[in-house]
Amino acid sequence: MPSAAAQYGGKPTAPVGRAPLAGEVGGPGLAIRAKKVLTVPDEGPQVVDNAILLVREGLIEAVGPARSMTIPAGYEVLDASDKWICPGYIDLHAHVGGTMDINEMVYLVNPGLRVSASVVPSNRALERGLAGGVTTILFIPGSGVNVGGQGVLLKTGLERYEDALVRNPGSMKLAQAGNPEGWTVGVGRSFMNWNTRWMFRRGLLYAKRWEDHEKNGGVEPRYEFDLEIFRWLAAKKTQISTHTQIYQVVLTTLTMVKQELGLDVYIDHGEMAGYKLAGFAKDLGVNAILGPRVVEVPTRQFINWTGSNPEAILGIAAQYQKAGMTRIGFNTDSPVIPQEELFLQAATGARYGFDDSNVDTVRGLTIIPAITAGIADRVGSIEPGKEADLLFLTGDPIDPRTAIDAVWIEGTRVYDTKTMRRRF
Amino acid sequence: MHAPRSNRTMLTFALLVSGALASSCASKRTADLDPLEPGELGVAIRCGRVLTVDDDDATYGPGLVLVKNGRIAYVGPDRAVPAGYPVEERLDLWASPGMVELHAHVHGPGGDINDMVYPVNADLRASAGFVPGNRAIRLACAGGVTTLFGIPGSGTSIGGFGILFKAKTAGATYDEATIRDPGGMKVAQSYNPERRAGDLGATRAGLSWILEQWNEEARVANREGTSTPMLENLQKVHSRELPVLIHSAGSDGYPAAARMWHVKYGARAVLSHGCFDAHMTAPWLVELGVPLNVGPREIDFSTTRDGKITGTAARYLEAGARNLSLNTDSPVVPQEELFLQGAVAARYGADSHTMLRAVTIAPARVFGLDDRVGSLEVGKDADVVLRTGEPLDPRSRVEVVFIDGLVEYDRRRDGQWF
Repeated sequence: MPSAAAQYGGKPTAPVGRAPLAGEVGGPGLAIRAKKVLTVPDEGPQVVDNAILLVREGLIEAVGPARSMTIPAGYEVLDASDKWICPGYIDLHAHVGGTMDINEMVYLVNPGLRVSASVVPSNRALERGLAGGVTTILFIPGSGVNVGGQGVLLKTGLERYEDALVRNPGSMKLAQAGNPEGWTVGVGRSFMNWNTRWMFRRGLLYAKRWEDHEKNGGVEPRYEFDLEIFRWLAAKKTQISTHTQIYQVVLTTLTMVKQELGLDVYIDHGEMAGYKLAGFAKDLGVNAILGPRVVEVPTRQFINWTGSNPEAILGIAAQYQKAGMTRIGFNTDSPVIPQEELFLQAATGARYGFDDSNVDTVRGLTIIPAITAGIADRVGSIEPGKEADLLFLTGDPIDPRTAIDAVWIEGTRVYDTKTMRRRF
Repeated sequence: MHAPRSNRTMLTFALLVSGALASSCASKRTADLDPLEPGELGVAIRCGRVLTVDDDDATYGPGLVLVKNGRIAYVGPDRAVPAGYPVEERLDLWASPGMVELHAHVHGPGGDINDMVYPVNADLRASAGFVPGNRAIRLACAGGVTTLFGIPGSGTSIGGFGILFKAKTAGATYDEATIRDPGGMKVAQSYNPERRAGDLGATRAGLSWILEQWNEEARVANREGTSTPMLENLQKVHSRELPVLIHSAGSDGYPAAARMWHVKYGARAVLSHGCFDAHMTAPWLVELGVPLNVGPREIDFSTTRDGKITGTAARYLEAGARNLSLNTDSPVVPQEELFLQGAVAARYGADSHTMLRAVTIAPARVFGLDDRVGSLEVGKDADVVLRTGEPLDPRSRVEVVFIDGLVEYDRRRDGQWF
């Protein structure tokens, strides 16, 4: 088995040490009556009012208006008819998945490093994140160097690594600029980008050699542990998540990583004046996951990194949207913004002009990051066959006055304020 | 009567011969009740109670252990002693197997156990610092510990290879004391090897990355049938020829170590320490079936913060752990106090008899030494400890320790060392 073989989390599993409840693996089916279900599929209607949601074996079985749904025989019924239900949130930029030592800062590029070695499933920060509705995170290395290593996609509320795992590698983390620079003595952006490009090209050549070998046979290429990740990048089985933000840095992400090298990449630290490239990014199919700063402020006390210096507060999400970008998501860069406040990033976006008439705020926390990270076949919306990662809310998910009463992951009630202390 | 020390060379020769014969026998060997011939070394130990710690946990009272040429020829109920045997009659004492320690740093006297320039030192051997019969080893013997795995420290990711040896006291040579060198590899995966010197390994992920780079080299070298002196022994870990003992702890580090060595590389991994809140992951570790070697902290009261003192061994046992063993991390806990680790674990909820197994047959088994040590069974090395009572009871005193059939400690002869 090659070391960089991707690991995929399996199907939902039966609870250990107790009988399964309705909706869980091994239990009877479950029908949930809800006031409103935000299904948020990629396309089509986004909301079902007075809904019935069927959950079975940890997966969504069906969802629709109560008047047109039949509850199958033997199903238990859960009355949540005063609640809204939406999919669990997905944060593609999180550092709280385990031990907090996230920067290995000797080499500028560490493509073989896997942050999965640091995972502490269901740790306290993740437990709070769960209480804030976050059910999936991309736990990534820091931005101390250009390639910090490989991230891992995890569920937040499951206690064993194998259960929590969604995909490893979840991404390769690239910090294009705006942190990895040696600000005193050291390298600058020109060298960094030369170095990154050189390593990426070497990695892609390596991947090509293996691809040719698998197609045509012959002598097996020499195995290089640190370059294995490029086989998965070349096969589009994982993506590059990029800490990129300033205009010229985002420009390099788009031109070098996407246009020139053809890799699946997304903006994962979208802020500052990067929005000026939103149209170009959209044309290239590069999605934008925004945060932790979701606004651009007119202060002159801050270093004029951004080149924008707006005269008023600009909502970054609104700027991306105005340029025609439709794949807009939000992140926290936790613990920079606390993990549980992911929804507030979207709320702030809306406050500063992000049009939410098509529930793009909720989409930006669910289906958009799921599509961006290539896991939309499992999570990100309430559609038949997907994992039942569900939030039970007292109202609109993005409204700070709304409380989350319960969170389910894969049909299991991992957080419930009726039986547990409220954490957030 | 005790075998005089001057006969040691002759005994070693006899051991080589009998060892060749014994190795071909099945696990349940037949007792040898032939008379002791002239030139053979032996002793009949007649005592009040014999705890065999075998698979059936057989005990005999009064019992007899016949030792011939360093091996056990008979163990069972008291019976007529075959001709030729000198008899050691101690009906006031209990006989039990010598204890086995898998995490010891007292093989050398100086404490120079960490070479910390490189994060990985896969070619380094602890045996270069081995001083047989040093003071700490003599005390270990007087505490009933007869087999030890002396290993490098946890200052780096791979500290090197340890030596398996017997706690022979005065005058034993390297050859006489050593069971296997290298006996296995030492890895430190969390809580200590984190490097703060500005080089690689500042983070848990970075440490893991370095280990994986070396492991991948070894794995590929095994696959391709190549080797280098730097990789030679690490490759033996990958081919399961040698076990690997992993210093790890915490609910973060412990499962990560299991994932790398037990799951991914399929090595004969033994997870050592398991302190702090690692016990929270007990069900998962048990499901994987990775052997656990718990200590030096046998209790946790700081990480769970629930005001309770949790016995870690008890938690692992509740989850269904098998082959659980205990350690002292000597000199962190003095080597002679290995039995006390069992007593503390029992005090905080672990079954007392299981804890006796945890310092005898269980560690022997996970290191593949159970054909020689860890229990009193026919054909095994005659490592026998005579005490005034139960082995884990602090009120019991060690009176006599036989290793390979020779008296290495006798309180009446040597004075009480511990």
